[in-house]
Amino acid sequence: MSKADEEKKSYASVFLLAVALLLVTSVWIVWDDQISRRPWKKYQYEFSQTQIERAKAEVSAEEERLGADEEYQKVLADLEAARDKTTSGATASQLSELASKENKARVAFDDAEFNLRLVKSQIEEAWYELEHAQLAHADTTSQRAHLDELNAKKAEVEEEVAETLARLNQILSEQDEIRSVVDSLEKKKEELEGAKSRLEQKVDGMVIQVGPFDFPKIPKIEQVVLNEFDRNAYNQPVARVDRCTSCHAGINKDGFEDLPNPYKTHPDRRLYLGKHAAEKVGCTPCHQGQGAAVNSAEQAHGHVKYWLDPMYEGDNVQASCIGCHADVRMDAAEKIALGEKLFEQVGCIGCHLVEGYGDLPKIGPYLGRISAKVDADWLVDWVKNPHEYRPRTKMPNFYFDGDEAEAIAGYLLSASADESEAWLGEHDLPSGIDSGNAALVAEGERLVDSLGCRGCHGLAPGESPALLGEGKDIAPNLSNIAEKTNARWAYHWVKDPRGYSPVARMPSLRLSDQEAKAIVSYLMTLGEAATDDSATRARLLEADNVVIGEALVRKYGCAGCHNVPGMESESRIGVELSVFGSKPLEELFFGNRTDIPHTWEDWTFNKINEPRIYETERIEQVMPHFALAESDIDAILTFLASRQEGYVPKEYRPSDYDNEVTLVEGRRVIERYNCVGCHVVSGRGGAILAHYEENPTLGPPILTGEGAKVQANWLYGFLQRPVPLRPWLEVRMPTFGLSDEETAAIVNYFAAEEKIDNPYVHVDLASLSPEYVEAGELLASDDYFSCWTCHQQGDRKPEGPKEGWAPDLAMAYERLNPNWIVDWIKDPQALMPGSRMPSFYDFTDDSPDGPDDVLGGSDLEQVKALRDYILTLHAPTGAVAQPAVATDAEESAPEPAEMPSEETAAADSSAASEAQG
Amino acid sequence: MLNRIDRLARVAVVVAAAALVSATSSFAYEGGAVSGGGTIKGMVKLNGTAPEPEVLDVNKDKKVCAVTEKKSNELVVGSNGGIRYAVVSLTNISKGKAFPEGESVLDQEGCEYLPYVTVVAQDHELVIKNSDGILHNIHTYSEKNKPVNRAQPKFKKKIKETFSEPEMIKVTCDVHGWMRGWVAVADHPYYAVTDENGAFELTDVPAGDYEIKVWQEKLGESTQKVSVPGGGEATVTFELAQK
Ligand SMILES: [Cu+2]
Repeated sequence: MSKADEEKKSYASVFLLAVALLLVTSVWIVWDDQISRRPWKKYQYEFSQTQIERAKAEVSAEEERLGADEEYQKVLADLEAARDKTTSGATASQLSELASKENKARVAFDDAEFNLRLVKSQIEEAWYELEHAQLAHADTTSQRAHLDELNAKKAEVEEEVAETLARLNQILSEQDEIRSVVDSLEKKKEELEGAKSRLEQKVDGMVIQVGPFDFPKIPKIEQVVLNEFDRNAYNQPVARVDRCTSCHAGINKDGFEDLPNPYKTHPDRRLYLGKHAAEKVGCTPCHQGQGAAVNSAEQAHGHVKYWLDPMYEGDNVQASCIGCHADVRMDAAEKIALGEKLFEQVGCIGCHLVEGYGDLPKIGPYLGRISAKVDADWLVDWVKNPHEYRPRTKMPNFYFDGDEAEAIAGYLLSASADESEAWLGEHDLPSGIDSGNAALVAEGERLVDSLGCRGCHGLAPGESPALLGEGKDIAPNLSNIAEKTNARWAYHWVKDPRGYSPVARMPSLRLSDQEAKAIVSYLMTLGEAATDDSATRARLLEADNVVIGEALVRKYGCAGCHNVPGMESESRIGVELSVFGSKPLEELFFGNRTDIPHTWEDWTFNKINEPRIYETERIEQVMPHFALAESDIDAILTFLASRQEGYVPKEYRPSDYDNEVTLVEGRRVIERYNCVGCHVVSGRGGAILAHYEENPTLGPPILTGEGAKVQANWLYGFLQRPVPLRPWLEVRMPTFGLSDEETAAIVNYFAAEEKIDNPYVHVDLASLSPEYVEAGELLASDDYFSCWTCHQQGDRKPEGPKEGWAPDLAMAYERLNPNWIVDWIKDPQALMPGSRMPSFYDFTDDSPDGPDDVLGGSDLEQVKALRDYILTLHAPTGAVAQPAVATDAEESAPEPAEMPSEETAAADSSAASEAQG
Repeated sequence: MLNRIDRLARVAVVVAAAALVSATSSFAYEGGAVSGGGTIKGMVKLNGTAPEPEVLDVNKDKKVCAVTEKKSNELVVGSNGGIRYAVVSLTNISKGKAFPEGESVLDQEGCEYLPYVTVVAQDHELVIKNSDGILHNIHTYSEKNKPVNRAQPKFKKKIKETFSEPEMIKVTCDVHGWMRGWVAVADHPYYAVTDENGAFELTDVPAGDYEIKVWQEKLGESTQKVSVPGGGEATVTFELAQK
């Protein structure tokens, strides 16, 4: 090709193509950047439109309402009429006349004022002339005369100013009077339009106004930054950014419950977002997902490869509660609370370590003396499948065959033989147990029914006072107990459970020998009595069998739940589950199962439901079958989902986190010993009260609010060594043999439940006012409130049968919080609905209820006097000082906030005993 | 004084609420003059043999309480088989005579509630007297009304209580375990307590068809239909059986 040809050649088409390409690319870039990769814009825009539409609809609805509102219409009409009046007719001419009068009056007033200023300056001048003449020692007569003249003129002009001003004001007020009708109507109109204008302002806040048109605001990324919430790979705190509300624009606004996601309002918004301010904690701390992602819903929700925390589905979101809260026994967290409870109490912790749950006591019974306790034939059957004998036992089924069961039973009998022999040597079968003696059996049954056994044990087949989850007994059902054990063991067990098992949860009811014999005589009628098992024992104890058994006991980890003799140092046999919730799918072994969907949830559910489901010819599995209800498995699954890596910083946790920890620690003890089988604690429990529906006061006392009621040191002592407080109760508070730590945990629980910082209030009896103590004694006497008609005082007992008695007031000083005594006397029914203690006062109104001749008839002072008197009852006479002395402030405990406001300083010297701290 | 104003205010609220309810509900009762009304007379009988009433164990404050022997009033049957202390009422009357003048009184005398069954109009004051000069307490067991448990020491001769919902309320004294009585909170004046012969009478009933109910604490409830002729008399006999 020649050069000329080259120069002639046109590149137009190439350029055109290039330009076209560039244009298309540019458009595509803008499109992709602004639209395709910003799906949230569409959502936010659509939500804005809906929001504006609804707000506008509200405005029109309000307009419509106003249109139909008679009052508003009348105001409008009146206003128009009043306005018309001011522009036409007689009133109008009156107004214009007044206006011209006003003008004239204003001019007159201004003139007068000007004259006044003029005279004032003339006076200044005259004074100057006068002083000048005086200094020159000249005659000042003429100057003085001039000054007097000017002063007289000033007075005249001042009068004129006042007159003209009065006239002007008169005219102005006349005008105002005519216009006030309009003004007040205008004000009224504004008032009635208040709701409408507020709604209009709301609309204005949502839109961009351009001339007569309005548009939704331009969508923008909405985000919450959680400073130092996460940790990076170097364990340094980094922020987490949640942009969820960029799409979920209506999530924290009421009124969009009917819209689909992502527009709709959060379900139970007030409960969840009310307690967790969304602008502070964002969304992913509860829901998980990839909060910073905005390119697609899949990314944002974490439903992408390699994102370890996809959003929780359904109720599983409750797994998050336990990430911040120590105590999850709260509203709307029932599932995680149940899951945690089951995990702790069904026995999972025996084989699986989970951080924070590692040092809880073993849940199964002590096997160190099992040979003395059970029938050998029963033992073999039990090991083979415990659910046959007790369908609701917590003991799982290991699917052992007959030989394996015999071997395990053999090992247990052999390993516990020496200890059992020794124990039996000290615990003979007493005479007097006789299951054939109908009267004795009936007496035993009566005792079992009345002493409190039914708080924990079911006695008929299938009966259970309360269940753990859907279907696990908390304590064994005793309907076939005679099959399992013998009278000799049962007698010593019911008398002193800790004498047989150092870890017994069953308490001592401080039974007399005769009571224990009656109870055992009755128990041994339940089920078919065991037959002679000596042949079985001999067979089981063969050395070969025992050796096989030992290996099996070790392999299946029996020592995880039981104290097995010879296996004290065995460790947990299961895998650790501390971070099981973030376990990637790739690490879950599905065996040959292709029918189970490959998700974490499906794997876990099926594993618990059918523990050997993933077993293959090569891979053996040993986890036993707990036979749990599906809902219980689901709850455990939620708990497992909560086991994640990562730690929520303190500032994101509840402000009373330490209080929650105290509650959890106390509740573990309370549930371990099943205090809630008999008592209602924090509003829950009290299964045994079902037997006292006719007369609830004969059942165990309700302990909700106990922390505010009793002195902590008294409660501590009482828990360790209970004494009968209510002589009318047949049901007996047992002795649990609690350790110091366990006792303290319970005492602290009750204080934490009531959020009491100082659960002991010191009372210095010497500081009580003798006047008050005397007044209290008078009030308590038969002349007034007759307290002793029902209450005991030490050895002084009331008339009539015990069930009519009320607690011993001589114990009040040791036992009761003095602040509580006041609250109690003020309104017993408020603290304990249904109590037999009547109210002597009604503090809901101001009228006095007490006698008017005691302490000036003041109800509150009388209540305090009763308290002071009751506190002195245990004390030897003379303990009340004469006269009253204030206490040492160092010793007295701080008082709850509500008390000091009631104190009327001088009148109540008793306040000194508590209020000075 | 304050208290009176407070009470007046409360009454005003109750009246306003009642007015509101009557505006929206056809069940609220409207009282006034009745002309040409009829009378329902009748009897409540026991179907079966009368049990011997239990003698109560008076074990406390005997000087005041054990002056006469006390027997349980749970089921008192006269020689003619009539049941005493049954409560008969119309169930579906919305308009009729006005509530009778005068206050309803429940007295505690000799550690017994007199009368055993007291009828009080809803939102009206029940005057509770203590004629004994010892401590009693008024402990009510109710579901629709808030239960109360108020002490009535000897210096309080009279206290007052108001119930806002129609209900049969059991009253006991926790000081004297045997004391037991009933308060019938009535939403209209057509309530009657049977006498020792089991007889009752409802007067000035506007002519018409009604449902009539009997309640007895041990034997439960039973209803019948009754037509009341203008100026005439209708007769109703209830037979209750032991459960
Ligand atoms: Cu009484």
